[in-house]
Amino acid sequence: MTNGDYYQLLKLLAPEWTVVGTVLAILFADLQFWRNRSVAWRSAGAASILSLGFAAAAGLLIWKRAVTADLLGGTLVLSPTSQYVKLALLGLAIVTAWLCTEGEFTKHVGEFVALIALATAGMMFLVSTENLLMVFVALELVSLSLYVMTAFNKRSPRSAEAALKYFLFGGMAAAFTLFGFSFLYGLTGSIHLPTIAAKISWHAGDPLTLVAIVLVVAGFGFKIAAVPFHLWAPDAYEGAPAPAAAFIASGSKVASFFVLGKLLSVGLPGVGGSGAWKAFSPGWLAVVAILATASMIFGNLAALAQSSLRRLLAYSAIAHAGYALLAIIGGSQPALLYYAITYAVTSVGIFGVVAVVENRTGNEDIAGLAGLRERSFLLSVALSVFVLSLAGVPPLAGFFGKFYAFAAAAKLGSSLGYWWLVALALGASCVSLFYYLQVLKQVWVAPVPEGQGKVAGGWVVSILLALLALAVLVTGAAPELLIRFLK
Amino acid sequence: MTPLHGYLFVSALLFAVGLAGALTRRNAILVLVGVELMLNAANLNFLAFWRYGPNPEALTGVMFVLFAIAVAAAEAAVGLALVIAIYRHYRSSNVDEAATMKG
Repeated sequence: MTNGDYYQLLKLLAPEWTVVGTVLAILFADLQFWRNRSVAWRSAGAASILSLGFAAAAGLLIWKRAVTADLLGGTLVLSPTSQYVKLALLGLAIVTAWLCTEGEFTKHVGEFVALIALATAGMMFLVSTENLLMVFVALELVSLSLYVMTAFNKRSPRSAEAALKYFLFGGMAAAFTLFGFSFLYGLTGSIHLPTIAAKISWHAGDPLTLVAIVLVVAGFGFKIAAVPFHLWAPDAYEGAPAPAAAFIASGSKVASFFVLGKLLSVGLPGVGGSGAWKAFSPGWLAVVAILATASMIFGNLAALAQSSLRRLLAYSAIAHAGYALLAIIGGSQPALLYYAITYAVTSVGIFGVVAVVENRTGNEDIAGLAGLRERSFLLSVALSVFVLSLAGVPPLAGFFGKFYAFAAAAKLGSSLGYWWLVALALGASCVSLFYYLQVLKQVWVAPVPEGQGKVAGGWVVSILLALLALAVLVTGAAPELLIRFLK
Repeated sequence: MTPLHGYLFVSALLFAVGLAGALTRRNAILVLVGVELMLNAANLNFLAFWRYGPNPEALTGVMFVLFAIAVAAAEAAVGLALVIAIYRHYRSSNVDEAATMKG
């Protein structure tokens, strides 16, 4: 490797450097200059620095959007698709940072916002690599940042409890992933995904290959909260500060789905086996089909019983992980990314509404939304758009996300072998309408409780929520606007 | 039995012991110890596959293990910080006591 390569590496990683520089700038400004300011002032300041830095990184990404590169044996792999996914991640992080201005859950806002930026840097590395070592290190950077963000509300026992549960499950998942990677390395002698793909098919049907697949899928199943690796999700969503929960539900999901899809379709295409009806054969398609089935059934049924809004969102996230796995089974990267990005935009929006409402009313139940139509019209409309999109009502983005994912799975194989999975997904979507409409019933039908005044977020958060709702509407009405970037 | 088989047996045993510990222990720190055992089992695998693999002159396995050790150290630091956070609220590091959220 020559010096020219290092220089090229530095140039290609300019957006990532900008993000890391933003981390340092936030910490420096907060610790050096803003010690005597109020928490609200400091959180707005930190979010502003993050927005500026990320806007610069986004500018660099757009400027170099047509880049393709493959350096250091797959350690850094750039393609137009990965650039656009990074843009989406930056946008989600900016919204998350501004959510910190709703509610004072900590005095150390500078550190919290810096952690958001650090996690974003990890996600950006995660989506631009085809090397197992880089995947592992970037994944841990994201995870460790998110564990700490979950625990940030030091006054709340639930925040600490949520973080401990998230961490202990996450640590085990990381160990599973690493153990699985070690077998992939042992079977193929390489940690470079295309090289693994070329050699792993010699070992198709080998028990060790199956063990490796199950371990790797289990590790990533934790990150995307697929049943039976979902146990942390409801507690983390409930106990974490709202911005942390929003980022776990959005950015982390996009990056994890992207890298899981890439790992399975680029790294292990020869050992898929089959999950088709009456034609099961062992391989990752069968494993993922089982996870998708369990997630869709369990997530939707458990969501029916929830009274806490955040737990409802957690179980709905589990169900949505099941739907998105259909796109992975279908092997369609545009469908998967469209689904993951629109889902992330929707859930960060919902958590924005949740943050504002909880901050003003202190009520975390679905019943706390009662009569929201008269207390804040903007929040009611935005929440309705988000919830209907999650339910998959056309013409919102959630409908087309599900449509592409289900269509990808249905087209796979010769004789519609995956019809059972698609039928199950359609049935599960119908069940999910019930609990989504329960939320909207509180907003639009339930009587306004006595003594409850208006609810209003800060103006930046209100504008961002309106923009997110608009984005869900526009990408749903004209999905080609988004999906042409993801092909 | 070749030496590689021996190492793989040991690492599988280590992974199983770690997993059993992580699942059955009630003390958060001992769960963390179990997780560390699982990570080290993976490290042992990497080293064995590198040493007895087709091209040991490429240092892939060793590099992976070095990074994994560093990551495991960072993870232990975060984990112990979280245990302290739990201890402040519940005066205990027992994971059963910290179980207020259900449903």
